[in-house]
Amino acid sequence: MPIEIPKDKWPGSIRTVTIGATSAEGGTRAKTVTVGGGTTMPYLHFEAPTPNKPAIAIEIKSRKPEDWSPLLAEVWGAAMADPAQWAKKAEEAGADLLVLALTVEDSPEDAVKAVKSVLGATGLPLIVWGPGQAEKDNELLVAVAEAAKGERLVLGICEDKNYRTIVATAMANGHLVQARAPMDVNLSKQLNILISDMGMPKDRILMDPTTGALGYGMEYGYSVMERLRLAALQGDAMTQFPMIVTPGFEAWKTKEAKVGEGIPEAWGDWKARAIHWETLTALALVESGADIVVLRHPESVKRVKDAIGELVVA
Amino acid sequence: MALSGIQIYKLLPQTNCKECGFPTCLAFAMKLAAKQVELGACPYVSEESKKQLAESAAPPIRLVTLKADGNEVKVGNEVVMYRHEKTFYNKPGLFLRVKASDPDLAKKVTQADAYKVNYVGMDFSLNGYAIEADGDLTAAVKTVREVTKRPLILISNDAAALDSSLSLLAGETALIYAASESNYESLAEVAKKHKAVLAVKADTLDALADLTQKIQTKGVEDMVLDLGGKNLGDWLMRSTQVRRLALKNFRPLGYPVIFFAAQNGVEKEAVYAAQAIAKYAGFVVIDTFAPEMIYPLLVLRENLYTDPQKPIQVQPGVYEINSPKPESPVLVTTNFSITYFAVANEVEGSGLPAWLVVTDAEGMSVLTAWAAGKFDAERIAKAIKGFNVADKVSKKRLVLPGHVAVLSGEVEEELPGWEVRVGPREAVDLPAFMKQALN
Amino acid sequence: MNHSLTFTHDEKQASVTVPTNTLLADAARLAGIDIGQPCGGQGRCGRCAVQVTEGQVRRRSTLRLSEADVAQGYALACQTVVEGDAAIYVPPQEKIERRLTTDRVVAEVTVPEDYEYPFSQTVRRVHLTLTPPSMDDQTDDWARLQTAFRLQRRFETVTCSLPLLRTIGSTLRAGDWNVTAIVEISRPSDHQTIRLIDLRPGHEDEYSPLWGAAIDIGTTTVTLWLVDLVTGQVKAQVAEYNGQIARGEDVISRIIYASKNGGADELRQRVLDTINELLERACKRVKLPQGKVTPDQIVKATIAGNTTMMHLFLGIPAASIRLSPFIPAVNHPPALTGREVGLNVNPEAAVDCLPGVASYVGADITAGVLSSGLDSAENVTLFLDVGTNGETVLGNRDWLVTCACSAGPAFEGAGVVNGMRATTGAIEEVWINSDTLEPTYRVIGGGKPKGICGSGLIALLSEAFLTGVIDKGGNVKLDAPSPRVREGAHGGEYVVAWGKETESGEDIVLTRVDIDNLLRAKAAIYAGFTVLAENVGIPLESVDKVLVGGSFGKYINVEKAVQIGLLPDMEWSRFEFLGNTSVKGAYLALLDWRKRERISEIAKRMTYIELSADNSFYEAFTSALFLPHTDLNKFPSVAEALEKSNS
Ligand code: SF4
Ligand code: FES
Repeated sequence: MPIEIPKDKWPGSIRTVTIGATSAEGGTRAKTVTVGGGTTMPYLHFEAPTPNKPAIAIEIKSRKPEDWSPLLAEVWGAAMADPAQWAKKAEEAGADLLVLALTVEDSPEDAVKAVKSVLGATGLPLIVWGPGQAEKDNELLVAVAEAAKGERLVLGICEDKNYRTIVATAMANGHLVQARAPMDVNLSKQLNILISDMGMPKDRILMDPTTGALGYGMEYGYSVMERLRLAALQGDAMTQFPMIVTPGFEAWKTKEAKVGEGIPEAWGDWKARAIHWETLTALALVESGADIVVLRHPESVKRVKDAIGELVVA
Repeated sequence: MALSGIQIYKLLPQTNCKECGFPTCLAFAMKLAAKQVELGACPYVSEESKKQLAESAAPPIRLVTLKADGNEVKVGNEVVMYRHEKTFYNKPGLFLRVKASDPDLAKKVTQADAYKVNYVGMDFSLNGYAIEADGDLTAAVKTVREVTKRPLILISNDAAALDSSLSLLAGETALIYAASESNYESLAEVAKKHKAVLAVKADTLDALADLTQKIQTKGVEDMVLDLGGKNLGDWLMRSTQVRRLALKNFRPLGYPVIFFAAQNGVEKEAVYAAQAIAKYAGFVVIDTFAPEMIYPLLVLRENLYTDPQKPIQVQPGVYEINSPKPESPVLVTTNFSITYFAVANEVEGSGLPAWLVVTDAEGMSVLTAWAAGKFDAERIAKAIKGFNVADKVSKKRLVLPGHVAVLSGEVEEELPGWEVRVGPREAVDLPAFMKQALN
Repeated sequence: MNHSLTFTHDEKQASVTVPTNTLLADAARLAGIDIGQPCGGQGRCGRCAVQVTEGQVRRRSTLRLSEADVAQGYALACQTVVEGDAAIYVPPQEKIERRLTTDRVVAEVTVPEDYEYPFSQTVRRVHLTLTPPSMDDQTDDWARLQTAFRLQRRFETVTCSLPLLRTIGSTLRAGDWNVTAIVEISRPSDHQTIRLIDLRPGHEDEYSPLWGAAIDIGTTTVTLWLVDLVTGQVKAQVAEYNGQIARGEDVISRIIYASKNGGADELRQRVLDTINELLERACKRVKLPQGKVTPDQIVKATIAGNTTMMHLFLGIPAASIRLSPFIPAVNHPPALTGREVGLNVNPEAAVDCLPGVASYVGADITAGVLSSGLDSAENVTLFLDVGTNGETVLGNRDWLVTCACSAGPAFEGAGVVNGMRATTGAIEEVWINSDTLEPTYRVIGGGKPKGICGSGLIALLSEAFLTGVIDKGGNVKLDAPSPRVREGAHGGEYVVAWGKETESGEDIVLTRVDIDNLLRAKAAIYAGFTVLAENVGIPLESVDKVLVGGSFGKYINVEKAVQIGLLPDMEWSRFEFLGNTSVKGAYLALLDWRKRERISEIAKRMTYIELSADNSFYEAFTSALFLPHTDLNKFPSVAEALEKSNS
């Protein structure tokens, strides 16, 4: 007996967003990354194909991070001290694009220099994060935005208390913004509205719902993402932005991934566990609708990429 | 279709007699709508109403229970596609596959059976074992049963072997894997005889639905589905389709689903198992006993099956912000996640170091918790002492949220030796406060 | 082509000749008449309405006018152009305001038609003439009085307190055995048992006033009406901030304060002081030929108030109210007297504390439901009490559900830097010109402003939002081109009135903190009723009428309340503003025992829903913590207004 499979028909869809600009488009990137465009809940190809597969970004920093897990230091080695080299290695590791995280120690000149060297080292599109302190973010990102005018960078991270300066400079210099709200559908939406109200074109916004790591509140992020995706499909224009999530950052700050000593035996092998932690956090977020996942360990990149490959061609 | 409170109310006597233990019929009706009480609590419901209410309440996915000596795994009874719509109720059982032919069988199961891991105060273990009949099943069952009290899945096509194995498991409910078009009659018979649950397998959903109906006519009610599928994406679609059909009350597929995580190789096992946990599996079978994989899978399962209606909480404890030093101030807040985030983000963003003590306020914001007596001097003092904050700092300076300024005197009484300061009411004002007042 | 226009204003006339398509407002200016344009001539405020008595004009927008207005020739001067010779009447402002379709004004209190003294009343005046005692009839005074009650009035059982008993003998003799008894019928249904409240020598005028008080003890504001129980008329209405505010703004702080040593006594004394002071003030307002009215002449008081206020007023421990599972000590207080509760009314006065439903839904709401008529409504009706505790009732004559949420006192003008109660000197209406960002405001009583009351705050928030002074998140846009937008002590602020215009000489401002308080208050109320409706499965659109209660004084602009997302976006005609429904309910119960019984019925029937039971309230709250709401689709009319003000 043939069963009729119920299919959802949605009035809305996720916006398509392109990051990076080639020389023909006014930038210097060798390729661009396009995400979004989904018209169904993730990977339900019996309803419609997935137009753009989720992209994987690798996070690098402008200075060697002292607080990262030894496992990461081990795998990236000396490249961590040089953003350009690190960027190259990340590209080899399979990144579709890069996140360059600036630090509080950077001056605007340092920031510009780091961005330029990364742009010079690879042809991948670039996301640039400020160090996460309002004043410093604004100072560094404005300098970066101007210096890299036309590259279609993603500038982050806009939050409800600090978005105006970043959005303004992104608008003026042809970049995109990453809008982060703390694990709440309404707060995400509110920030998107505030940013759109400033006149930011809607195909230049990525939303970052904040997810938490496996074991540390990820389920809230997971559900918030499902809800945002559902709202977008139902036609809510202010939730139709592609989602960028940071499982690398989230997972690697957990004790389970970060440390190898003084932990219960039942946690098993450190390195294998750490990679599972990052991979499973990322996978769950991919299943709930992530369009860009920012990772840290090359092995996780490989596994998540593999999983995405199986999800987009069923 | 689920009825609303008012719709149910109209079916009740509307006399507000209070016998059900609620102040009004409407209050009772709303609890019924939320499935928090049984209709039987009202002695005066008419037969007609009972019938109407029963129809709206039948679970779309059959509840299946595996049982062994004192251990139970319940799956099914789910009512939503997405956990935020209500919640996912019954966590999928995580089973380890072992081979009947394995000479180390007893040792392996013993080791796996002893596995226990603690996650936020809860102990998790594997739920049971799937024995693959690549050798003498009956002997293997005997061996395994001697070293574990957890439920079993028996993987075999051999009705006779299954029959004798199940005879060893009297009083238990085991799962037989799996009936297919070619063997369902004999397996159904064994399942029926031993009151076992029967897994059913077919290549397409159409065939699967046909098969479950045929098996049902053989007198087997408790079934579990194997959906086939060649990779992650394929299986995701099948699982989604089955859940959707079941929720639309398509009975032939209204059963829990079983998934073998190592089907495309053990290197993909973790990722496969993780998707199955997230996407509707009732039983997940793994091949590798590796704590470093089992622990994250158990945590993932716990996370996705927590009730999303409960307020979002963070773990109480001491959080270090911007690498605090012994002289950095101690800030106190509640474990409601939004409150925590607001405070943590502000301080983090300011670059100023601080110790953030998160108290257990049952997931309420500062004001609500204070109103409900969950954030008072006693609890704050308990947290400061319990987390040994005094050992971390050289300067015992505690900053209370401005909303609970009234508590400052009492906190000082409870925490002798601490200097209590009243901070701003809003997190936004924290950086300025820390710069000015705390220097 | 040119046309000649004649304007009439203030009994003066002025003429002018203008070309076709000149705006009436511009033409008036040429004629030397300045028609104020509070909204900057955008057709938003309706304040520039004029009446075209003769001739031809073209109206671009009539949004602010009713059809009847247009039929009478009304037109908006900022939206209407000249097409021929015309005669135009420019009415005085007050006259216009009463015409605006968005304004809701509380009706004057009228005595209910079915009120009939003494039949509706439990307290009444009884004239008795006793046979004087003699050597033949040595019956004691008390028995003599009882006999008189029985024989002359058929009151079989009479009770009396000891202090009153002590005075009987002298009163009987002073009146030469003619006395006026003030009695309370204990059970209106049997009419046989009475309690003696007062015994006065001689026969008082049967129809001279008999004083009663209806009192609403609000968390923030205490309101008292002095009523003549004989005519049923309200003779004085007074209100004051509850003296307990000094010990906490909300019920929770008060409960906690009360559980401290001596705290309960202090709070009780504070609210008694407030009420006793109001009693004095109300009595002073009444001028009678017979002389002064004093509080001790008040023989009946009916009291409404939320559960916490009632506990604190009666000195009953309130601690259990705030702790899960939230159980009050008493929902239905027994009949009491003035002496027992400590009010400076007649010590024997009947004090009737109305019944509540639950810890967070008290007698203020049961009284409110009665006065709003919700319990007899045929269609589903929503009743909102926009006060500190933000109670909501949804239902009709078949069912009633209710909830409460902590909204805070912002709409009562407390907890806002320049907030105040809706009394003389309060700014109650504001318009901001969208081009210049200059405000126009109206002050209660017409003098210099002292502060801003609830309705003024609603208007101000809505105007600041629509004109872009603040963004949808409530942040003051410091780059806005106006000296009125500036950085203050608590972040951005907007100056509503410069010091030179105000009573105190200080600027009146709206600060970021005020905005946050207002946003939270409105979000809590909006979330309360949406979650309530969702809980019972009633879509908001199917609500027939929205009854709004609250201490806004006499007036609220529903359009602005919708624009800030306090009220749901529905046709304005579905809203009704009832003012302080609680004191009104107390007043009805004070007069008529049948209405009093209806309140008991309401209290029994209402189903209370605890909002903190799950996440849904919090969700609804955060989504409402935005202007007007995170989901603009819920506010189509506001979306439209925004569209217009952006273009
Ligand atoms: S027992 Fe039945 S009739 Fe009585 S109140 Fe409860 S629901 Fe109503
Ligand atoms: S409507 Fe004409 S000035 Fe406001």
